[in-house]
Amino acid sequence: MMEEVSQEDMEEVEVLEAQIKHLQAEVSALKCQQQDNHRDITFHFRGEMQDAMLCMCGQRQGDKKEKEKVLSRLKEEVEEMEADLKLQTEMNGISLNSCTTKTLQSSDRKLVQQLCVSGHCSELVFQVEFQLSEVKEGSGCVRTISGLNVVVDASDLQNFNSFLSGVEESRDLLLLFRTLRTFSNRCDDRCRTFQHFQEKYPSVVSLPGGCSSEVVTLNHPELSGCLLLVRWSVDVSKEGGVSPKIELLAKIPERALQLFPSLPVGGASEAFQSLLRLLGPEAALESVIMAVGLSRDT
Amino acid sequence: MEGASKKGVLSHLCLLEVQARSRKTQPKQPSRVHELKAKAEALMRQREQLRAEVETHKNIKKLRASMDQQCRHEDEEEEGMDEDSENSNLLRLMARHTQLKDLLHAYDVIGGYNIIKTRQGKGLCVSIATAYEGVYFETYNLELDLKPTVRISRHDVPPFIPLNNLAEQSSMQTEVRTLLDPLSQHLNAFAGRKQQLQLVKELHKSVEVMESNVLCSFLVLMFSLPREKTALLCSLDYSDCTRCLPTRVHFECDDKELPNSPDWKKHRSLLMETPVHKALITMREMGNIL
Repeated sequence: MMEEVSQEDMEEVEVLEAQIKHLQAEVSALKCQQQDNHRDITFHFRGEMQDAMLCMCGQRQGDKKEKEKVLSRLKEEVEEMEADLKLQTEMNGISLNSCTTKTLQSSDRKLVQQLCVSGHCSELVFQVEFQLSEVKEGSGCVRTISGLNVVVDASDLQNFNSFLSGVEESRDLLLLFRTLRTFSNRCDDRCRTFQHFQEKYPSVVSLPGGCSSEVVTLNHPELSGCLLLVRWSVDVSKEGGVSPKIELLAKIPERALQLFPSLPVGGASEAFQSLLRLLGPEAALESVIMAVGLSRDT
Repeated sequence: MEGASKKGVLSHLCLLEVQARSRKTQPKQPSRVHELKAKAEALMRQREQLRAEVETHKNIKKLRASMDQQCRHEDEEEEGMDEDSENSNLLRLMARHTQLKDLLHAYDVIGGYNIIKTRQGKGLCVSIATAYEGVYFETYNLELDLKPTVRISRHDVPPFIPLNNLAEQSSMQTEVRTLLDPLSQHLNAFAGRKQQLQLVKELHKSVEVMESNVLCSFLVLMFSLPREKTALLCSLDYSDCTRCLPTRVHFECDDKELPNSPDWKKHRSLLMETPVHKALITMREMGNIL
């Protein structure tokens, strides 16, 4: 350098150089934090979100109109997503209320996330946790699930337990949700049918456990000792096959049976099964109810 | 005349010379200080920007966590915000965006039908995902016309899947899912059987696949029996196409008594209850097949 530098200038240079070193260290630390943030896929923003981020950080200097534009574009995108979410909820019959993700590994080729999804399917409340890995292979992407953990809150869990442990082992997430939905539909069918009959024949039909229970009792108000029990269970096989099973149980006191020896009450359960095969669940139930009610109507 | 103009030029030249000399001796702005000041300012701007970004990220994460908490416990929306500022609105919106994105992704992963409405509600596009043992396979697509009646207009479902039958048996006019659920069952069972066959070929090289069909509903395998030094033909019938397990297992062997031996009776039940690629592992471990 050919110019002369005065003493004052040299001091200023030292001060500035120190300040710059300090700033560089701060910037480097902040960049590290920024990289960490970007590694989490959920908070790695693109498109409208990226514009919004730049807005928040004041890169779009002071222009209020610009900020409003960004806000309104983002709002539009969010509204579209809300509508999409509503559609997916309706069409899938499953309501997801939360999905949290944690990025475990992210590179150009591979993405591994830990997902925790919770929601409900009609009356069934579930929480599902698993690891999702997406690996780029050729022109496509291979998606794999591992470490599946399922918690279902249902009133009758016995039907479900062997299925749930089977599904955790086979990591069949799709089967889990298909089965949850089918199971929930069958339980809803049962509940609706029970409620319908309880309202139509209130003196004969009672639901000791409420309409979501498996059991409904039928009895004539004047024959208090004689009871017919209908148990409608929804079984789930290990493979995810959902099968409703309806059976009739008669509770008639010994004395009554003695009075009417020819009463074919003993065969009531089998007879009901034939009725079921012929008429289907609703009509079969209705005929039994009407018979118990000693109804003249047909 | 000449004398006067010469004088004017000379004096002008003198003036210029003085000006030039004075410029040389003026104290120059020390360019090093100038340079450093500019650098420091640039770094400060960068730092402020990064701080704002990191802070914003932190706020969005916090907001998102509290929104997730609310949604899980199905609380009502927060009544009013602390500051109704533009910034807080934008932050809230951004947090909601991340939440929605995650939820929509979740629907995709759990096998949701990824419904897209088209042509102002007159059409519907549906995707059906298939997976087996935690690995996702093909996704099949259907395009439905909704008006005047619900019917399938386009699809890429393979012809050996009885799509038309399923459509006829469903109540898709009122509830599209009555078609989609059974179709998904068929497609997933097919994906499962197909993958089982693939795994048999990969993991059990000493087992020969004699016969199979496109639907993977029929499989004939030939086992080499190390002890008896003979071969055994095993046919698996998957007549229920909604399942990945066979409905019938049949053994054929020169030694007519062998299929009735206790070990092979066990193998028959095993093959009925366990996916074939897994059953073969057990059979090999028991020493009955190569």
